[in-house]
Amino acid sequence: MTDTPDRPSILNAYSLLPGVPDELLGADGAINPAWMGLVDHLEGLAPEERERCFSRGAQYLRDAGVFVRNYGEEASPRDWPLSPVPVIQPQSEWRMLERGLAERANLLEAVVADLYGENRLVGEGHLPASLVAGNPEWLRPLVGVKPASGYFLHFLAFEIGRGPDGGWWVLGDRTQAPSGAGYALENRVASMRSFSGYYNQANVERLAGFFRAFRDELNAARREAGSRAGILTPGPLNDTYFEHAYIARYLGMMLLEGDDLIVENGRLMVRTVSGTEPISVLWRRLDSVWADPLELDAASRLGTPGLLGAVRSGTVNMINALGAGVLESRAMLAFLPKLSEVLTGRPLAIPNIATWWCGGEAERAHVLGNADRMFIGPANSTHLPLEPEPGSVLKGDMSQHGGDLETWLSSEGRDLVGQEVVSLSTTPAWENGALTPRPMSIRVFLARTRDGWRLMPGGFARLAAGNQDSSAVSIRRGGSVADVWVVSDAPVPEDTMLTRPGESFVRAASGLLPSRAADNLFWLGRYVERAEGLMRLYRAYMSRLPDSPPGGTPLTTSLEEYLAARGVGTNEGIPDAVEKTIAMAVNAANQVRDRFSVDAWASLNDLEKTLGKMRKTVVPGEDAAAAMGILLRKITGFSGLVHENMYRSSGWRFLTIGRSIERAIAMAELLAAFAEWSGSQGGFELCVEVGDSVMTHRRRYSVTASRNTVIDLLALDPLNPRSVAFHVDEISEQVGLLPGAVVDGQVSALSAAILQIRDRLADSAPEEVDHDALVELGRAIGFLTNDIHAQYLG
Amino acid sequence: MLYDIKFALDYAFEAPAAGARQILRAMPLSIPGRQRLISGAVSVSPHPSNCIDRSDFFGNAVTEMAFSEACRNILISLDARVEVTAGAEPMASVATLPELREAIGTLRDLGSRSPMHFLAASRYTPDDPGIRNWAAAGRSGGRRKVSEIVSDLGQAINNEMRFDAGATTVETPAAEAFEARHGVCQDFTHIMIIGLRGLGIPSGYVSGYLRTLPPPGRPRLEGADAMHAWVCAWCGPDTGWIEYDPTNATFAGTDHIVVGYGRDYADIAPIRGAIRTAGGHASNQSVDVIPVEP
Repeated sequence: MTDTPDRPSILNAYSLLPGVPDELLGADGAINPAWMGLVDHLEGLAPEERERCFSRGAQYLRDAGVFVRNYGEEASPRDWPLSPVPVIQPQSEWRMLERGLAERANLLEAVVADLYGENRLVGEGHLPASLVAGNPEWLRPLVGVKPASGYFLHFLAFEIGRGPDGGWWVLGDRTQAPSGAGYALENRVASMRSFSGYYNQANVERLAGFFRAFRDELNAARREAGSRAGILTPGPLNDTYFEHAYIARYLGMMLLEGDDLIVENGRLMVRTVSGTEPISVLWRRLDSVWADPLELDAASRLGTPGLLGAVRSGTVNMINALGAGVLESRAMLAFLPKLSEVLTGRPLAIPNIATWWCGGEAERAHVLGNADRMFIGPANSTHLPLEPEPGSVLKGDMSQHGGDLETWLSSEGRDLVGQEVVSLSTTPAWENGALTPRPMSIRVFLARTRDGWRLMPGGFARLAAGNQDSSAVSIRRGGSVADVWVVSDAPVPEDTMLTRPGESFVRAASGLLPSRAADNLFWLGRYVERAEGLMRLYRAYMSRLPDSPPGGTPLTTSLEEYLAARGVGTNEGIPDAVEKTIAMAVNAANQVRDRFSVDAWASLNDLEKTLGKMRKTVVPGEDAAAAMGILLRKITGFSGLVHENMYRSSGWRFLTIGRSIERAIAMAELLAAFAEWSGSQGGFELCVEVGDSVMTHRRRYSVTASRNTVIDLLALDPLNPRSVAFHVDEISEQVGLLPGAVVDGQVSALSAAILQIRDRLADSAPEEVDHDALVELGRAIGFLTNDIHAQYLG
Repeated sequence: MLYDIKFALDYAFEAPAAGARQILRAMPLSIPGRQRLISGAVSVSPHPSNCIDRSDFFGNAVTEMAFSEACRNILISLDARVEVTAGAEPMASVATLPELREAIGTLRDLGSRSPMHFLAASRYTPDDPGIRNWAAAGRSGGRRKVSEIVSDLGQAINNEMRFDAGATTVETPAAEAFEARHGVCQDFTHIMIIGLRGLGIPSGYVSGYLRTLPPPGRPRLEGADAMHAWVCAWCGPDTGWIEYDPTNATFAGTDHIVVGYGRDYADIAPIRGAIRTAGGHASNQSVDVIPVEP
């Protein structure tokens, strides 16, 4: 690095690694033009101001719930390791990449079409038959099946890096169900926050247009009018589920699990609250082998039986086609240069990482002779190149593997590939208040659109944790991630998913609500309300303890029994039952994450976190009563967000019905247990307090609380949002607005059951509503759950 | 030989199940020069809402059925008349192991009968060092004919293993059955496949029927009261595929009627099904293979 006199101070510690190019600085030490603006901007900020800006981005990610999760790991998720400084690429570079990767995509399409079609490449000896036959992603049930759209590949990701000569290399092709595009979007939002004020004048190409074009492609791939397009996810246990939910929300598409789908007469249908509805495009984030337990992996619980039949009959388009993962095999990289010559008559426009299949004698000898700069691993692995895995050997080090390299290569050569351990370019990371170069690779995304392949003007960059080793290996071991800015010389137009220049406003038809989603929303409503009810009861109990004589009063003793019947012990600071109920609510919400605003989600998580903290410190007594007060304010915060902000869709109705059913049952049970107590024992006050109706009661009735005033206010008054009658009305109204409430002039069994409850309540005088009537009322409302399940959720 | 085959399968669900879907692979194949399917019919009760006959990647006959109405029972019965004219004993085999390996290296075929499909580990036949080393001991020498290795290994498995219909289930791993030295035809077959593949010999799973009652004076074969399984192995381009039944220590003869071929049980299970139901289910199958007097 040469010393430039007017070098910005933030580059003081920026010393380049030998032998590899840097993204920010040219070989002569001068700042690359595309970075100039960003460097100036950073240099112009005071150090504490810089940190403040960067923390805005980090705060956004935490609020949005972006964390690192690993499938099957119990440990709590880690903070998303975003390096605030983006990787900057000039637009011209990106156009060149787009052309090269489009060529590569067409080549991959030709290869996969051949592997599931004529098999000419194997027949003519360009690909070894054993590699294809032994590839677990070459799915025999799909051989001979042509995709309905005519194409196997629609959405691809490439892991790329810049080699020592300054050119780009493809490190791996992701053709199965590439992840990362949603994370790139989230990184973008975070970097916009970090660089607010600068971002809008930095000529950064926007991402929305890319996603809009791909969404149009998905909709265009529908097979019949009236059918839908959706996103297929393995579900919340998957480590990239967050991204699936995010993309679904961003594109406004249904997020579906295998269980939401059913095949009827060869057609793929979604099970919704309004019956089954046709769907003919699935952007799948689920690996092929899990897609259909009937014809692929029988152990799959994530798939849809009969899906392959629907694919075979041409009624559904899978994006990408099932079986497209065959191209992800590492060994494919050894043959693509040759296949490019064979199929297109041209060399690869962008080379991939040098790879040798050890089944060939000359290749094996080469790998053996150069083992010190090779990564050797399973030929048919779909792990990314250089990603360590069992059975792999780095730089000839056989100490983990055991045995002798030459013997291993000659006995198992057909199942092994060698890959050159490439060194990759560095990009600035922000560490300890200064910029420092870190080796990086970028995942870029290519989508088939009406106008041909289109490269997302951005990407998902990974930076190595240290700078000792600039090989791609250290990057895969993971350090941080970064946004990628593609900058133009000229200003770029503003763009979001919400606006579309020149298009008139159309209100979209209300979306379909899958039965599973409705089920989760219903139970979310019930669990949140149940937790709130338990908190109110526990607070009422704990706040009465200090004034009670030793051994308690009849009321506190009864309350103890009442709480115990609901799983709440009275020697706890924060009752276990409350925590468990909230955990069930979070779990239900997690299954329908695509249907919540970020704020509602954050508030529910905040509640769970607060509970976890309080659990360690809160002790029974007044402390617990106060803690319940805090939790109640938090839980009503979530309810408020849901009820103020959530669109009145069928989904909201199920949530509301769940909440009302739970609240009505709880009130009927409370009154049955305590409303018959005489005034001096405190039963009335308890009911009015737990029913949050102290003020109302005082205002409505000039007399002191009596059995009849309490029953009137908390059971029969249709205007009190805590009364049974109010919630029966609410259930009745919402059920009336659900699909199928009235069919051919006949009300559904569910509607009929509610009307019966409602009529009975409306005709009752307070004195008639005795203990037995209340017990019966609670039970009748509880039974509505069965009717709802039978009609909508089964 | 002329056979009448009756196969019946009865599914009983604990609770009525809607949306049941089954894939049946039980109809005997026609194989030129070996066996001929003269007639065959599948009947299903209740009547499926959707029923498709097709063949799968390996050329096996598949019947796919779906039931939209909820049902408690599904009864599938199959009747077939098959003429078996020859077994699958080896022709004069010439290839040795090194010659076989060389022949495999030059294959450029991924058709349904290509040996290439039958070399790699698969769902029920994962590589297992215990089985591999046991099978290779004394059999990996360069001069022995591949067909001899096949029959020798099959004989050894038969000697080593005890046939026990109650000892294993469909999901018992082959390695576990081998460890305990007991099992049924499926276990014998999977163990032999793992052993052969370990030696580099392409081998697969044959599903089929056995003649129920033996000809006079000969013992009844094991596995005749249910669907049977045995091994196919590729012995080089001259000999091609041979079939060996390790459960009965014999090459597949005219008592063996082939239903289909696969890499292991997963490819050619007689029935694969999926239902959406809370309760469990039980199934019961019966097989009758009766020689037809000319």
